[in-house]
Amino acid sequence: MSEHAIEVILNGRPVRARVESRRTLGDFLRRDAGQTGTHLACEHGVCGACTVIVDGEAVRSCLMLAVQADGRKVTTVEGLEASDGSLHRVQQAMQDAYALQCGYCTPGVVMTLAAALEANPKPTEPDLMEALSGHLCRCTGYQGMMKVAKRLAGGGE
Amino acid sequence: MNDVPNATRFVGQRIPRKEDRRLLTGHGAFTDDVPIAGALEACFVRSPIAKGRIVRVDAAAARQMPGVHAIYTVADFEPLNAVVAAAGGQGVNQPRMGLLAIDDVRFVGDPVAIVVADNRYLAEDAANAVLVDYESEDAVVTIAQARVGAPAHRELDNNLGVGARSADDDPELDALFAKAAHVVSHTINHRRLTHAPMEGRAVASVPTGAGELTVYVSCQSPQQMARFISEAFNLPNANVRAIAKDVGGAFGQKISPGREELSVIAASLMLRRPVKWAEDRLESLTCAYTGREQEAHFKMAFDADARILGGHIELHSNVGAYPAGIHANALVTTLFPGPYRVARNGFKSEVWYSNTTGLAAYRGPWAMESLARETLLDVAARQIGIAPEEIRARNLITREDQPYRMCTGPVLDHVTPRETLALALKKIDVAAFREEQAEARKKGRYIGLGMAVYVEPTTMATAGVLSSETAYVRIEPTGKVIAMMSTHSQGHGTETTMAQVIADSLGVPFADVSVVEGDSSRGGFGAGAGGSRQAVLGGGSARLACQKLLEKLKLVAAHVMNSQPEFLEVADGKISVRGEPEVFQTVKQIAQIAYLTPSRMPPGLELGLESQARYRPDTPIIFSNASHACTVEVDVETGLVKILRWVAVEDCGAIINPSVVEGQIAGGVVQGIGEVLMEDMAYDDLGNPRAATFKDYLTPTIHDVPLIEYDHLETPAKNEGGFKGVGEGGAIIGPPTLVNAIADALAPFGVELTQIPLSPDYLLKLLEGRTPAHAG
Amino acid sequence: MKPPPFDYFAAHDLEEALEPLAEGGGDALVLAGGQTLLPLLAYRLAAPTLLVDINGVAALQGISRVGDGVRIGAMTRQATILRDPIIAAQTPGLAMAARFVGHTQTRARGTLGGSLSFAEPAAEFPATALALGARMEVRSRDGARTLEADEFFLGPYTTAMAPDEIMTSVTFPDWGPDARVVVHEVARRSGDFALVGLVMASRVEAGKVVRTAISWFGMGPTPLRSLQAEQAMTGQAVSDLDFAALAELAVADTDPPDDIQASAHYRRTVARRIFPRLARQTLEAVG
Ligand code: FES
Ligand code: FES
Repeated sequence: MSEHAIEVILNGRPVRARVESRRTLGDFLRRDAGQTGTHLACEHGVCGACTVIVDGEAVRSCLMLAVQADGRKVTTVEGLEASDGSLHRVQQAMQDAYALQCGYCTPGVVMTLAAALEANPKPTEPDLMEALSGHLCRCTGYQGMMKVAKRLAGGGE
Repeated sequence: MNDVPNATRFVGQRIPRKEDRRLLTGHGAFTDDVPIAGALEACFVRSPIAKGRIVRVDAAAARQMPGVHAIYTVADFEPLNAVVAAAGGQGVNQPRMGLLAIDDVRFVGDPVAIVVADNRYLAEDAANAVLVDYESEDAVVTIAQARVGAPAHRELDNNLGVGARSADDDPELDALFAKAAHVVSHTINHRRLTHAPMEGRAVASVPTGAGELTVYVSCQSPQQMARFISEAFNLPNANVRAIAKDVGGAFGQKISPGREELSVIAASLMLRRPVKWAEDRLESLTCAYTGREQEAHFKMAFDADARILGGHIELHSNVGAYPAGIHANALVTTLFPGPYRVARNGFKSEVWYSNTTGLAAYRGPWAMESLARETLLDVAARQIGIAPEEIRARNLITREDQPYRMCTGPVLDHVTPRETLALALKKIDVAAFREEQAEARKKGRYIGLGMAVYVEPTTMATAGVLSSETAYVRIEPTGKVIAMMSTHSQGHGTETTMAQVIADSLGVPFADVSVVEGDSSRGGFGAGAGGSRQAVLGGGSARLACQKLLEKLKLVAAHVMNSQPEFLEVADGKISVRGEPEVFQTVKQIAQIAYLTPSRMPPGLELGLESQARYRPDTPIIFSNASHACTVEVDVETGLVKILRWVAVEDCGAIINPSVVEGQIAGGVVQGIGEVLMEDMAYDDLGNPRAATFKDYLTPTIHDVPLIEYDHLETPAKNEGGFKGVGEGGAIIGPPTLVNAIADALAPFGVELTQIPLSPDYLLKLLEGRTPAHAG
Repeated sequence: MKPPPFDYFAAHDLEEALEPLAEGGGDALVLAGGQTLLPLLAYRLAAPTLLVDINGVAALQGISRVGDGVRIGAMTRQATILRDPIIAAQTPGLAMAARFVGHTQTRARGTLGGSLSFAEPAAEFPATALALGARMEVRSRDGARTLEADEFFLGPYTTAMAPDEIMTSVTFPDWGPDARVVVHEVARRSGDFALVGLVMASRVEAGKVVRTAISWFGMGPTPLRSLQAEQAMTGQAVSDLDFAALAELAVADTDPPDDIQASAHYRRTVARRIFPRLARQTLEAVG
């Protein structure tokens, strides 16, 4: 099996590693880069827990190989908080709306919403709901997330 | 009882959760997130057939593969003398069970060997290279097959599981049915579902020092895990430390360690190295415990005025090969009468082993009582020709009836079934809906209204390990409060709610209270999450501990302030003489004296500010209750159901944090929605699970659920704090509410719904060849 | 659920990609968006020796007008299809179909060519390509060839492409400015594969159907055309059409599966029911 030297700009900092070709980006982030905020809950692209931002787009990190992230900018949930420790507005909205319980699905949800706001600072509520439909949560019944979609729509604070 | 200063400053408020920050920023500590130096990873070789003998296991080639440290079968674990807890509770007809399969396999996924390698990739490579020859045998998969088929377990004579029982012959009940004006019967075939927590089971077993073991484990109570693990491996309890800081959902699946968790621990003991296993989704869906598969036949007798005379329920559960703990059939029969006046009830209950994955408690494991009763009442209302709210109004117990002893034993008190129903119906506006429904039907659109009422047995204080919880609260010299609790959260938010209770009970700021859970070496013994009891028992024990602590705090303060304890009050971290707020000592000042300045302590008083209390209420069961109502539209062209509105009116006593309570209700309701509309852990004829991916095992998405409208009544129970449990209710009352709405929508077609889930395929089959009766 | 071992090679141009495929003798697989291949690898349902990553091949990108239609690079992301103005103007049916494909996060990487090459019978793009008469340009080391949609899908997950071929582009021919396309599916949840799906394209002139194409998905081993129904409609006045009878004809050409989500009977029943409304919707709004 081939091995590859990669360099990923992870949360703003370059990370160099050698990875087996089959290693998924999700496993690379968790096991090699120590960023365990990204969770793997299905490893077949359905649940959304593993969502991270690659070059500005929300993608499933279980459906990308680590080697494919070579030379790319990857943002995980650990990279959202501001340096002064204040929460990203998606994170704040999630807390305010009680949009998490166990928190296992949460990082993926946060990354999808952060990417959506990045791409379009004034998204519509249906846009955000559509983006959220790619996430499975077993705890909250999505009640808080629906409120978050409403709140973040149109750039609302 | 001592006075509690600022009794409701934090309790009752929507306080933001303490848990959220770490979880939102990616700093949660779920089992597989914990960095463990040198940890190896495990993977299982699992049976591809539902039943058969293991002829040969050849792991020779696999052992030579890169990164492989060990491959064990059950025989290799013999030196450990491990004891695996009996499946299905105590009793006769127990199957033999090993950490891994012994001689034969009994369901698809039955673990045959464990592979330990440098990482999971290599472990899977090696697992695929282990060659196992099986001699396949005919499996029993369904209840019908279990009745007549060969035993799922070769050492047993039949498939009748532990706990089958029937009420004695009851001529009086027969007489009630004989003289009844109406006898209404109904059936529900509930197919199997699975918990599908987003975090699967996970364990990391770290042997430390001589005979010591630290086990990170995804569970519902680390204290319970430590107990089970120390018993299974005959290790001193003190040497086993179980840690579960964050857990990604459990819902009854993680009460006790499964054979996999125990096998991983066994492997780590054999290798003297840390070994971990994070169940993947394939395993979680096909090998982890499942829930609910039941066949229920039930009936009620009514007089001419539609008053219930008596009831009877017959129940058959498919518990798979190795069920976890005792099934809940007894509770189903006990609770079948619900909050209604029912004079007499009979039952029959049987549980059946089969060659499928084992059954475990799933959020409200007894939920069939409500599903059966509430759907039956709607069927009865249609047959008798009265409204569903009317048949309930004629039979629900009132406040005046309470305390009301159910004919099956439990006593209902401080419950509000009528009041919650009235509120729910008002909110959903039945009259307006019926008009809308009539209009819609004229246009060939089928909308329906469903309602359900139930009582939830929370805090079963006679039920073994569920009876009590404990709190150890101390004020540190920093003035900060630390509480070691036996409660546990898999999303329940107890770190927040318990801190609310403690902050109020002591009169200190919420921010100054830290609740420590999730570590068996820190909190005392308790069952953690399970049985909807944490608000009651955690809250109760916290309050009792705080009361003792407050007394001592005041004693010390009174001595320091030249006052009397009874003149003092504590608020916002300050102790002052009542009526003179400007003269105060801070809690921190007093705490420093208590620990650091013995000379200023009252003579003879023990140093420190520490207190412990274990709480068990006097009432054997604390009932909470709720009424829900929802409206739906059924697309009769496709059989797809859209939920239009959902109203939940809950009475869980004094509410600690409404947002947390609503979160529990919503989570349960949406699991109930999944249960009714889509979740189906199907098996084929050979016993192969057919839903091995999240594309096949369907759980609701954000587009499948409505925004729930809440109302709360707060009728306190007679227990410390007046709290009641609320964790399981949504999953109990959600399903009948939704089924009733769908049945109401389809009423013009004259069909009754007897299967769960109500898949589009099922609904269309039911409607086939039927035309709607003329719209009224 | 970890992928089995394989080698990985990131190709920078087409030649670089085609070479190892030709040498690989079927054991080398193309890695496009990976949204289908990676789940297969996770379940170890595929065991390639080599993955040839074509994400870096610029020649596979790009959307442009060509003589009679729109040429879309095979590696065009599903997300791009959803928002590209040329596609919206020239072949809006494809954008309609894209709405049903997966979720935002998978559309960011999933590609048109990947979806067509994988040929999932219940997927949206293959049926859309079939109805609209798309032409797939595929290439191997030995040269290029063009495959018509109606000869492309051979069975579940099986196409007319050889293992050493890569799809390079897909051309969706113009149906004319007044053409109308409807894409509809019945699925249990949003983003799921269809239980029953229908793509219908039509042109109506002076009240008469001059051209129509009907293709089902989730209704057989491949996306399926309903040629009988198409023939019965073509040349007829819209006002004369008996939609119930057409629905029978349209469904007669299908061969739906029985699976855990729905029976074949269900799929046929629903197909029969949704057809008249969708056909009307397609025909009556045009011409
Ligand atoms: S873990 Fe990647 S989508 Fe579920
Ligand atoms: S909060 Fe637990 S899965 Fe979403």
